[in-house]
Parts: sequence; C-alpha cells; structure tokens
Amino acid sequence: MFGYGLRRLLEAVLVLWLAATLAFGAMHLTPGDPAQTLLAASGASADEVARRRVQLGLDDPLPVQYVRYLADLARGDLGVSWLHGRSVRRMILEQLPATAELALAATLFGALVGVVLGLLAALYRGTWVDALLTGLAVLGLSTPVFWSGLLAILLFSLHLRWFPSAGSGGLPYLVLPTATLGFALAGSVARMVRAQVVEALRMPYVLAALARGIPPWRILLVHVLRPALGPAVAVVALQLGFLLSGAVVTESVFARQGLGRLAVQAILWRDLPVVRGVVLVGALAYLLTGLLADLIQVWLDPRLRQ
Amino acid sequence: MRRRLLVLLVAAALATGCTPQPGGRIVYGLTLAPSGIDPHINASSELGIPLTSVYDTLVYQDPKTGEFVPGLAQQWEVSEDGKVYTFYLRRGVKFHDGTPFNAEAVRFNLERIVSPDLASQRARFMLGPYERTEVVDEYTVRIILREPFAPLLDSLSQVYLAMASPTAVQQWGSEYQLHQVGTGPFIFVEYVPGDHLLLRRNPNYAWGPPVYQHRTAQLEEVEFRFFTDPATRSPALESGAADVMGEIPPQDAARLQGSADFRIEAVAIPGVSLMLFMNTTRSPLDDINVRQALLFGTDRKAIISAVFRDTSPVACGPLAAATFGYNPMVCQFYQPYNPDQAAALLEEAGWKDTDGDGVRDKDGQPLVLDFYLMGWGYMPEVGQLIADQWARLGVRVQSQVVSYPEALEIAKEGRHHLMPFNLSGSDPDILRRFFHSQGGFNWSKVNDPEMDRWLEEGARVSDRNRRADLYAKVQDRVMESALIIPIRDYVNLNGVSNRVQGLRFDARGWFPWLIDVTLRR
Repeated sequence: MFGYGLRRLLEAVLVLWLAATLAFGAMHLTPGDPAQTLLAASGASADEVARRRVQLGLDDPLPVQYVRYLADLARGDLGVSWLHGRSVRRMILEQLPATAELALAATLFGALVGVVLGLLAALYRGTWVDALLTGLAVLGLSTPVFWSGLLAILLFSLHLRWFPSAGSGGLPYLVLPTATLGFALAGSVARMVRAQVVEALRMPYVLAALARGIPPWRILLVHVLRPALGPAVAVVALQLGFLLSGAVVTESVFARQGLGRLAVQAILWRDLPVVRGVVLVGALAYLLTGLLADLIQVWLDPRLRQ
Repeated sequence: MRRRLLVLLVAAALATGCTPQPGGRIVYGLTLAPSGIDPHINASSELGIPLTSVYDTLVYQDPKTGEFVPGLAQQWEVSEDGKVYTFYLRRGVKFHDGTPFNAEAVRFNLERIVSPDLASQRARFMLGPYERTEVVDEYTVRIILREPFAPLLDSLSQVYLAMASPTAVQQWGSEYQLHQVGTGPFIFVEYVPGDHLLLRRNPNYAWGPPVYQHRTAQLEEVEFRFFTDPATRSPALESGAADVMGEIPPQDAARLQGSADFRIEAVAIPGVSLMLFMNTTRSPLDDINVRQALLFGTDRKAIISAVFRDTSPVACGPLAAATFGYNPMVCQFYQPYNPDQAAALLEEAGWKDTDGDGVRDKDGQPLVLDFYLMGWGYMPEVGQLIADQWARLGVRVQSQVVSYPEALEIAKEGRHHLMPFNLSGSDPDILRRFFHSQGGFNWSKVNDPEMDRWLEEGARVSDRNRRADLYAKVQDRVMESALIIPIRDYVNLNGVSNRVQGLRFDARGWFPWLIDVTLRR
C-alpha cells in the first residue's frame, strides 16, 4: 500500500512537471510578442516596448527563463499577471470555487441523468423508449454548449422566466449552467451505462440469480448496475477535460466568473504567468479526479482490489 | 440650455405620467471581462465604464463643444512654450476615505503612473513627454513636459489619469484595484473579478464638473456584470438580468428598437474608423492603381447594410466623423462604388485575365491577396463580403483569421497585403500611430516625410485651428495615396430599458455619466 502511494506521488510530480514544461514551451512557441501585445494600442514607442520586454524577463535566453520559472514554481510562486498586475495565485483562487462548483454540479447532474437514461434504455432495448433515449443521448453529446445554453436562456429565462439567465448567487443561478453542461455529459454516460447493462443482462449470473428467486429490482441494482457503473465512473473522470473546456463556454454564455474565462483572456493576451498557472491547476485537477475515480472503481468492483 | 433641458424633461415626465425619482439600482452590462481594472495600470476600455463615476479628473471635455471645462482643477494655464501646465485646484474635495485632495495628491498620482514598477499599459503613454510634477502650494500644481504635447488635456480628462486616494493606493499595493478610492459621484463598494462590480452613491459629492446635471448621484446603486457572448446580451436585457447593455449586435438592435420596453441608444465613437490597411510595400499593392481599384471596387454601403444593418455610417477616411479634426472633404474620394472604374484601373495596371480562370494575372502571376483579420468586431463578416465583391473584379482574396498578437507580428514583418483594424480615441493625434513612418500601427507601411512632419507638429501645437488644418491635410493625403479602405465609423449600440432615463456619455462615447441617470417608476 505504501509503495502504491509513493508510486502515485512520483507519477503526480512527473505529470505536473510535464504540464508545466508544456505550458512554458507552448506559449513561447506561439507567435506574438507579449510586450508588444500589451502596449501596441497605447501608442508606446518601439523603445518603450523593448524596455517592457526586458522588464518582463523576455529578453533572457529561453533556458534561463525556464529554470527561473521552475525555481519560482518549486517555491510555490506563480508570479504576477502581466495583464492584470496582480498575483496569479490570488487570481486563480478567486476563480477556482465558481468553476469547481459548476464542474461538480454538472458532473452530478450528468452522472445521475446519464445513469437513469442508460438504465431505462437498456431495460427497454429495441423499443421506442430505447430509440428516444438513445437519440436524446446523442443530441446531448453532439450539441455544442454555446447553442444549448442560448436555447436554455431563451426558453427558461426569457419566455418561462423560471431561472435567471446570468450571474451568480445561490441555487437558481446554478440551474441553467449546470443543466447545459451536465446534459452534454449525460449523453456520454447514458451510452456507456446502456452498453454495460445490456452486456451484464446477458451474463449467466443474472439468470442464476433470477432462478434463485432474487427480486428483479435487487438483481438490477446490485448485480447489474454496480459492475456497470465502474466504466461509467471512468468515463466521467475522462470527461473532466471536456467539462473544463465546456465550462469556458458556459461561463461566457451565462456571464459567470470562472477559470475558463480567465484562461481564454490570458491566452489571447499572451499573459504567460496566468496561462501557466491555469494549466497547472488543470493538471492538478486531472490527477485528483483520476485518483478519486480509481478509488471509486475499486470500491464498486472488488475484483480490482488485487 | 440646461434649464431648457430641465423644462423638457419635466414636460416629458408629466406627459407620460411618471416622474423620475431619486434612488433605486440598475444592472449595467459590460461586454468584455476587463483585463484588470486599475485605470493607472490597465488599458481596457471596459474599466472606464464603471470607474468614470468613481473618480474625478482634473479637467472634463464637453462632448457637445469639444471644449475642456473645469473638473478637480478650477482653472489652468499653459506656458508660452507649451511645456508647463499649471493647474489651480478646487478646495474642499475629499476622497471617499476622507483623504483630502490637494496638489500633493496630484503629484502622487502622476508619479505613480510613470513609475516603471507600476508597468502601466496605457496611462503612462497618455502623458506623452511627461517629465515631472511640481507642487507649487497646497492647491497649485505644475506638470512639466520635456516637449510640447497638445493631447495632454484630452488625456487628463480621461479616467486613466484620474485622481486616486494616495492613502488607499499605499495601503493596498498591488491589490488596490479591488479597493479603489476616488472622489467621484459613486463609491467603489466591491469587485468580484469576472462576476460583478458594485458602486454606491456618494452622498457627499458636491464638486462635479459643469457637464454633470445633478449635484449628487440619483441612483443608489449600480451593479456591473460581464456579458462577453454577444448572442446573450439582448436576452439578458429582455429577461431583466440587465437594464443597460453595451454593444448589442445589430440584428438584435433592430428588433429591440421596435419594442415598447427597450430602446437603442446609438453612440458614435470617435477615433480611427474600421479600415483595411493596404501594405504599400508588397506587390501588387505597391502600385497605387491597384489600391485605388480596390477602393472603387468595394461596395461599402452593401457591407454597412448587410453586416451592420445600417446602424453605422460608411467611413470616408481614417478618422471617424465624431472625432475632433475630422475632415468631411475626404468623402469626395473613391465614391460612389464603381466596379467599372475599378476594372479599368486594374487593366491599366496590366492585370488582365489572360487564362480565363476568373482571376486576373500579370506576368504569369495571379492577382491573389493575403488578407489577415481578427475574429472580433465583425471583421470576418466584413472580410467575407469584400472577398465576394472583389471576386467579381477578378481579384482573389486568401483570408485567414488570426489572433491579435499574431496580427501584430504579421504586420511588423509585412507579410500581409491587407489587414483591418479600428481604435477609439478622442484626439486626432491617434493618427500618428497609424500613418507616421515610425508608428506602431503603420500597417500600410507608409513612409511619407511630409506627413510625418504634419503629424509631429499636430502633437506639439496647442492651437486647435492649426491642429485641425494639419490633420485635415493628413486625412487628405491618406486617401489620395490610397493607403486604406475605410469601412465604417464605430457606433456603440446601447440597449436600454425604458425604466432608465438620462443616460449620457462622455466625449469618448464609451463612458456613461451615471450621476444623471434616474429610474422611472
């Protein structure tokens, strides 16, 4: 167990280092001079732009910049945003709760709706119910969030006036963004659960259980659904990347704060310290989700404990 | 004038049976999440929308006359050589935290702005050849320049050079932007980045400029929220999530205009119009005949109608008509749309379709132009229409959407044939960035020593008539030399709930004077 923990920890450090290095390299290879981007519209002269470049440390050789960056990172220093002039750590901490809240709510919504839809589709496989639910799942999978979000606003905010279209502060504000983002997730979960349940229903142990007179609901929930949920959990965990990128759009459509909008702005403005900071947080989120998914899968499926 | 307006307002209120009353709150929709909101540091134009009401400036510009009027400075004088500005400050002004406003506060603010550690992205450059500030006595302050700089008063009338409380700036350091303290009609209550910004009425405000109509703010609170996705702006307005919303897309504006509950307040923004820069150093655009052909062969009216639903005027030259120094004579150039003349000019320049593939060619080279554009400001839509119009002329366009940093890089290296841009600004000195040989946005790659001299002199002389003459010549020269294809003057389409009355904007066109806004109940 201790060896396992140590291995996971070393893997985590390696992943974080790779993410940090990729973020560093990708932004330095992207065309566009940060100093020029910041100052061009203000009428700064070429000399003034050059001075700002020196101030930002951009005229140092790349290896020097890289080592300085890693050294700062090792001390937990994410630097100061070139665009905002504020501490990157503070900026990320400000935006993280809103994004985590949305991602978590959308995951719960997507998992719940996905499992129920998938289960029903499997039970009624081959009927019109299955066709309808599978169609819904495909719709969820393939509708871009900016479109479904806008439709949700038009229907639920503008016409029915059930939920606010924009802003934050309490559950009503969370409903539409969660449903929009969660609906997309529910699609992939439903398809996975349906396939798993259909397969499990064909297993001899289901027939054996039936023969022993175990009530069908118990067979379904304990013997069929439980092993089927393992892969679904893996799917949900793998969807984190989708959730984070979907959150970018959702935040914009519903005028919410969040890391997504911060990241997009930072990339557009070549605000390297913020880009690197957000990438690191994303990598960290992946690691934590991966760990959590593994633990849940082991709990669901005892065969994985060996 | 003001009394007549008041009479009109009262009459209008009586006519509708509703009287504007003090108090209440509105939600104001911003369209960009600002890139930091310290006006001394950051460059975003969104920050000025809320913060213009938090701060006061030394002078104000009357949007009707273009004249500068007293603000925190009651009077000022400019030395003979144009290098020393002396400001006599208003007494009895207090920052929201109780700190008194005086000459030392002015010096503190200007020195903060130019300090290299602050890394200002805009304010520093608006001060031009600033050298230092001298405190003459408690209420007299001198700004000393290395050389004359005519746009200084225009700069000092903007929120970027507004007066912040020295106490608060020192107390909060790099977190000052979340705790801003000014002397203005509204107090900065809180800012949750990316979520909202809240202002509350300053009951002690009594030193507003003559351009304000009320002594203190009429609204109790104003909340700002960020609607970055254009498609969501009009739904937010209509669902009541916002009472005022900037930059409504033209197609939504047309619909809102017909509604009983909302109106569109279209505000012309001064500055450099949306225009296509033609790279005069890259073949075939190094030939003026080809550039003139493209000007004649661009149906700007059709673009305005299709993309902007006729909400913006066609631009005639580099400066928007709302800008001081705009020269209406530029409208004589390349108008109206004339594809026949365009074709004749191309023939004359030797571009003929010899192989019958629909694209003109010369010496075996097809007439293909590299067109780089950015994804915002309806540039892709404009680019698409232009490509279609020019295809009929036998000119092929290769369009590519690039990011702003990339565009700057491409322009620097001169890899483009065409690239569009627009920039707002109320002083015509803005032209220096675009048409001076050393300008940062010299995307036409022009090198005209005479125009350089006009632009340099325009930045130095303070006489307004002389400046207007110089900039008139620059605008003529830009169009005679066919450096650009002007498309449209920028117009901000504000969607406003009919509850909201008295919304007016400053000379920049972007920044509302919230002190005078009232709610109809």
